[in-house]
Amino acid sequence: MSELVLKTEKLDKVYKLGGRKVRALSDVNLQVKKGDFISIMGPSGSGKTTLLNMLGCLDKPTYGKVILDGVDITKVPEKSLYKIRRHKVGFIFQTFNLMPYLNSIENVELPMEGTKKSKDEKMKRARELLKMVGLSEREEHRPHRLSAGEQQRVAIARALANNPAIVLADEPTGNLDSKTGYEIVRLMGKLSTDQGTTIVVVTHDSHVASHAGRILFLYDGRLKPQERRGTHLMGKLACPNCRKEIQPDDTFCPRCGKKL
Amino acid sequence: MRRDDKTTVKEVYYLGVLTRAFRNVSRRKIRVLLVVIALGFSMAIMISIPSGIVANQTATQRLTENYNELINNMQEEINATLTLIEISPSSGFRFGPMPGPGGSESYLDESIISDIESISGVKDVVPFLEKSEGTNETVERFGRAFTFLRPDYTIMGVPLNSSLINNYSILPTNITDGINLKEGDSGVVLLGLNNTEYFGAGVGDTVNILGSDFIVVGVHGASGFREAIVLYMNISDAQMITDLLGKISRLDVYAEDQSDVDGIASTIGAEYPELSVTTASERLSRLQNMQDMYQNTLQNAESTIGQTQTTAFQEIIVALIAASLIVFFTMLYTVRERTKEIGILKAIGFSNWNVMSQFMLEAILISLIAGVVGIVIGSIGAPTLTSLLLPHISMFGTRGGPGSFQGYTNPEVPGAPGSQVATAAPAPQTMLLAFGVAALLGALGSLYPAWRASRTSPMEALRYE
Repeated sequence: MSELVLKTEKLDKVYKLGGRKVRALSDVNLQVKKGDFISIMGPSGSGKTTLLNMLGCLDKPTYGKVILDGVDITKVPEKSLYKIRRHKVGFIFQTFNLMPYLNSIENVELPMEGTKKSKDEKMKRARELLKMVGLSEREEHRPHRLSAGEQQRVAIARALANNPAIVLADEPTGNLDSKTGYEIVRLMGKLSTDQGTTIVVVTHDSHVASHAGRILFLYDGRLKPQERRGTHLMGKLACPNCRKEIQPDDTFCPRCGKKL
Repeated sequence: MRRDDKTTVKEVYYLGVLTRAFRNVSRRKIRVLLVVIALGFSMAIMISIPSGIVANQTATQRLTENYNELINNMQEEINATLTLIEISPSSGFRFGPMPGPGGSESYLDESIISDIESISGVKDVVPFLEKSEGTNETVERFGRAFTFLRPDYTIMGVPLNSSLINNYSILPTNITDGINLKEGDSGVVLLGLNNTEYFGAGVGDTVNILGSDFIVVGVHGASGFREAIVLYMNISDAQMITDLLGKISRLDVYAEDQSDVDGIASTIGAEYPELSVTTASERLSRLQNMQDMYQNTLQNAESTIGQTQTTAFQEIIVALIAASLIVFFTMLYTVRERTKEIGILKAIGFSNWNVMSQFMLEAILISLIAGVVGIVIGSIGAPTLTSLLLPHISMFGTRGGPGSFQGYTNPEVPGAPGSQVATAAPAPQTMLLAFGVAALLGALGSLYPAWRASRTSPMEALRYE
């Protein structure tokens, strides 16, 4: 399991906001192996979504490379990017973003449109995926007749439709209650372990993060090299000893003085 | 189990796009309905105008033919009666050689017949007594009141003398029922087609005319509105019942030879300056005037048609532009409204072309529905639409022109005054064309909005709420 699926090199993103330059990402070096379940945490405005957009070919970095499944996607011309998005990336959104006028099975079939699969193959694949997320009974239901959790399951099935190299999830539990959110995270964890799906989740919910194999922290556009430092409590980083809040930069706990 | 990088995915379309287009169109019913109605009217205009033009051309052609026939008939009649001099009181109104209601109120004394017969070169003199019976009607026009007689029937008293009725055109020739009047008939009448309705009588019945009973011997088939109400009887009977004993309303004087005509006419003119004397040459020149007038009218009609075509062309262009603008703004609004959806579609791997074709397909679908509606509106409403949009072809321009007698218009009379509003149902080819144009409009109008949709950055679009 050492095959690299995703790699970023010196990723920089500079926005121009009202004539002022804002550095959203700076020198981000990230490596994701096949089957990894990675969680990226950080406060609002730290650049989590920017990074995810970069990984999912929705945005281009100012400097640096994004190598996805062996292809430097920053070099792919805009008009061919859809092929990468279609075949290599699966997106899971905070607001589910299902098409309201399509039922579950049609929503899952949607990313397969324009691929070589026959209608029957698409249908079969969509059924399989819905079964995997536990929604076999809900194939004909449109989103408004599904609960929030069920909608997110359909969205997960849709993300997996074209068997992508990587699944990117942006706050997948943000619009769910904690119990449903937990189920969704468990489902993603199960996909990672059972199917070997590579998943990158952006969240500020430590509960979600705790399911991941690796947790990365993003502060002011910089990815902190420390991984698995401290524990997570109520969405915050805490000293494993005294359980008080610590900063990711801290080497020693400011309260109990224990080395982190 | 990952896909090979180099795999180039060929774009293959399944029913998916079309199904989604249908669902999207049906999702916003009210909007689609409004757009379809607006577009439908433009389509209706497009399909009904060309048919209107064709109908106008046909109408003009028919009128031309009618005029030519009328002129030819009159020419023939004049040629056949080269020795005829028509005499009537000059206040009398006569139009052409046809017997008519005239409106003549003044009569001549019978004694004039023998006076004229004594002029050298005169072969025969045929007196007529013509009197219309009906109701007086007053019409207010230009602030003044005009009174005219709306005749129920016209009594035509003719001399029933075999040497006259056999040689000259005195009695109608086309008898549709019964027999014609003959020498010495008295107490009998030959009815016109409309008289049979008015009196409710046919051949063999007795009709009461101005208090006297007459037996109907026949019915003549003259169909013009003036001729169909003329009933013929012996001139002495006519004088009796109309209380015009010894009076006549006009005379036809026949010369021995064509060379005598001018001499006779000038003698009569000198002796009776109050009479209007008309010879064949005058009738010819009158005919010439009439022909000139018809030519002018036809030229006017043709230029009106030219004008009509220009107007129609402009109207079609306006309708086309309006239709594509409707599609344009609707789709622009739709694209804006569905920005988020576009973002999602692009994020999950839709190409620019996928997105663009999706929106264009929806626009074409709406336009095709509008095309059907347009064809329906166009087929039902073509006459109304054309008469609203196209200038009418008015053969005599304004009312009261030559030959038009206010209150008397009959479309069956060739060259009758009045305006023609020519209309026709759209041809199947036009409908088919309209359908094609509808699809084209949908594609054209949605080109830019769909292109804009396809260019939307998925990242920006996803943020859009």
